[in-house]
Amino acid sequence: MQPTAKPDLTTFLASSAHDMKNSLGMLSGLLEKFLDVHSESDFSGYKDLASMLYETRRINNDLMHLLTLYKLDHKLYPFHPGCVSLADFFEDLQVQNASLLISRGIELAFRAEDDLIWYFDEDLILGVINHAVNNASNYTQNRILIAAEVVDGMLEIRVEDNGQGYPAFMLDNGHSPLGVDFNRGSTGLGLHFTRTVAALHKNKGRSGRLLLQNGGSLGGGVFIIQLP
Amino acid sequence: MADQISDFSQYRALVVDDFAAMRSMLAEMLRSYGARNIDMAANGKEACGHLSVRQYDIVLCDFNLGAGKNGQQILEEAKVRNWIGPMCAWIMITAEQTPDSVHGAVEYQPDGYLIKPVNAALLFQRLGRILARKSAFAEINTKLKRNDYRGAIAMCDVKIEQEKSNASELLRWKSQMLMSIGEIEQARELFEKVLNERDVAWARVGLAEVRQREGDFEGSCKLLRQVIADLPAHVKAYDLLAQGLEKLGLLEEARATLENAARLSPNSPVRQKNMGELALRCGDVETAEAAFRKSMAVGENSVLKTPDSYIGLARIMGNRQQTEEASRLLNKLPQTFEDTAVHIRAKAVEGMIYQKNGQDKEAERVAADLSGMMKNAAMHADSAASLEAAELFFSTGRKDDAVALLSDVVRNNPEDQALMGKVSQAYSNAGLTEEGQIWMKQARDDATAQMNEGVLLARDGKLPEAVASMRRAVAAMPSNVRVLLNCGHVMLLSLQKRNDPALKREALEVLLTANSLLPGDKRCTRLLNQLEAMD
Repeated sequence: MQPTAKPDLTTFLASSAHDMKNSLGMLSGLLEKFLDVHSESDFSGYKDLASMLYETRRINNDLMHLLTLYKLDHKLYPFHPGCVSLADFFEDLQVQNASLLISRGIELAFRAEDDLIWYFDEDLILGVINHAVNNASNYTQNRILIAAEVVDGMLEIRVEDNGQGYPAFMLDNGHSPLGVDFNRGSTGLGLHFTRTVAALHKNKGRSGRLLLQNGGSLGGGVFIIQLP
Repeated sequence: MADQISDFSQYRALVVDDFAAMRSMLAEMLRSYGARNIDMAANGKEACGHLSVRQYDIVLCDFNLGAGKNGQQILEEAKVRNWIGPMCAWIMITAEQTPDSVHGAVEYQPDGYLIKPVNAALLFQRLGRILARKSAFAEINTKLKRNDYRGAIAMCDVKIEQEKSNASELLRWKSQMLMSIGEIEQARELFEKVLNERDVAWARVGLAEVRQREGDFEGSCKLLRQVIADLPAHVKAYDLLAQGLEKLGLLEEARATLENAARLSPNSPVRQKNMGELALRCGDVETAEAAFRKSMAVGENSVLKTPDSYIGLARIMGNRQQTEEASRLLNKLPQTFEDTAVHIRAKAVEGMIYQKNGQDKEAERVAADLSGMMKNAAMHADSAASLEAAELFFSTGRKDDAVALLSDVVRNNPEDQALMGKVSQAYSNAGLTEEGQIWMKQARDDATAQMNEGVLLARDGKLPEAVASMRRAVAAMPSNVRVLLNCGHVMLLSLQKRNDPALKREALEVLLTANSLLPGDKRCTRLLNQLEAMD
């Protein structure tokens, strides 16, 4: 008898992450549905539900990032950049984040030139910006701005908030490998994902990149992804 | 904000999902946005039933439908059988982000994916956007439906100027149309222009395809290797690279490349079949057998299934002297494929397997069957089937049958050099090299004479006789493009003298046949336009 081949653990990790992601998607869908029909005045647990949605989305984002990184690593991810209208892109973000932001009393604004069109993988960049918005929703006071413009031949998408901003050691340069801060609950996965996705976008010898700054038009943290 | 459609009342929709609760939820969402005509299907069979009788504007289709066809296979069937046109918005609903189907060929991709759980706002945003984009392409589609490729390309140019947000998509369409009508030079200019501004994958792959068409396989492979280095999940680049490598004789590398493509996208019956054929050429019978079997398995519910995998596997069995198993497999083909050319091939291959195994009696019996079959007017042999049948006829002493078949191939395709090479090879294999050349010349002269008769009659003003003569020529050579075009031309001359609606319809049919054999041919386009301009 041949000994049974030991299954590869990473395959299990990937398939379970996948499975969990489906359940979490379901869970956050249900939470959103509930939050949409209730308000703080008619349901005492409203604030707790809003936090549950935030946490659920955080785990969901993490799993999505893990899964995508796994697929990229195994050369399985179908990287499909295409022409994206930023107006359409903002609409998608609006729909996907409305419940979360309304429930947390946060105002979301968009700013971009009319008819701005850029070339990128819509799903991946949605994943990046959703992560940034979810993160900002935890540190902002009450406002988030998503802005897009072309700077020096690169598309720059910024997620700005009016919170305290990033701690000094995370700011820079975009070269520090991981912005890990366990006190702040950051494993660095989101940033690693963003850097990986940014670097995947290449054109004419230039690659995309991530920048973290403080200030911006709202005076808080500024998350910037630049795409060639 | 971008254009969007928010009123769905004038659209007819189909909802496909195996769970009743999901079906009614999706239908309810559509109704809440004004849709009134909604049909439902629980599986592939029901979905195909609806799609084959009604034109839908919207299809919401679950990818995973349990046993039977999956969503991708329904979409493929609907497109291949022309049940849905390019104006239909097809949204695939999936449980996961990147199913294998994402890597399907471009022409079989849905217009969008939605990941469960379905969010109503997101669904309608996507749907509205897709429908708005499709209506922007409506005029181009009308021209494409009439097979007016050149008109469609001109319309593309107009739209590219008008609609900046669709410009990239329109350029891609235009490049595909240019490639399909053989305007390689123009396609290359388009790809190079796009690449001047941005490293776009479809343009890089397009340029590699152009190089292959020009015969520059080295250059093509170089480009494709770069694309794969940048985008390791670009399946089309692998497929194209494998073709190029095969042309260069680098069979092992071609095979490894196809294996990579099949790892990314394992459910394509054609790719699995190609893998089998390559493995055979590398002498790896075991892998070939596995690939042919896999092709049959993934093709079971697919309109893209190919008879070549059955035939390939049968030949392998034949070489192992398992003649009974081989013929059992081949006898499945008539139930599996509607195309009568496949039935002919199955018989021909069965006979050859018996013949090679020394079972001459069986081979003769099958050859007699086949000869009878082919006298039936309902059986249409294509050139591949004719060549295979001729091989069996030669080796079972039915020389006249074989020569008649091969002459037919010559008459229908006198300008196809590659095919003519195969015909003379078939004669040589039968030990009839010199006679073959004479017969081929006879068939060619015969075709020319028949065609010229009508043209000369028309020149002398004998139009009714000219039309009658061209009709006979078309009946004898139904896939000879030159004959079809001359026939259309003579009919047009007759129509200019005297209007006749029945003849006009006949002329249109003849020219459309020519156009489907040689899409976008300049002369054909001109004749079609002249015909349409007539009242």
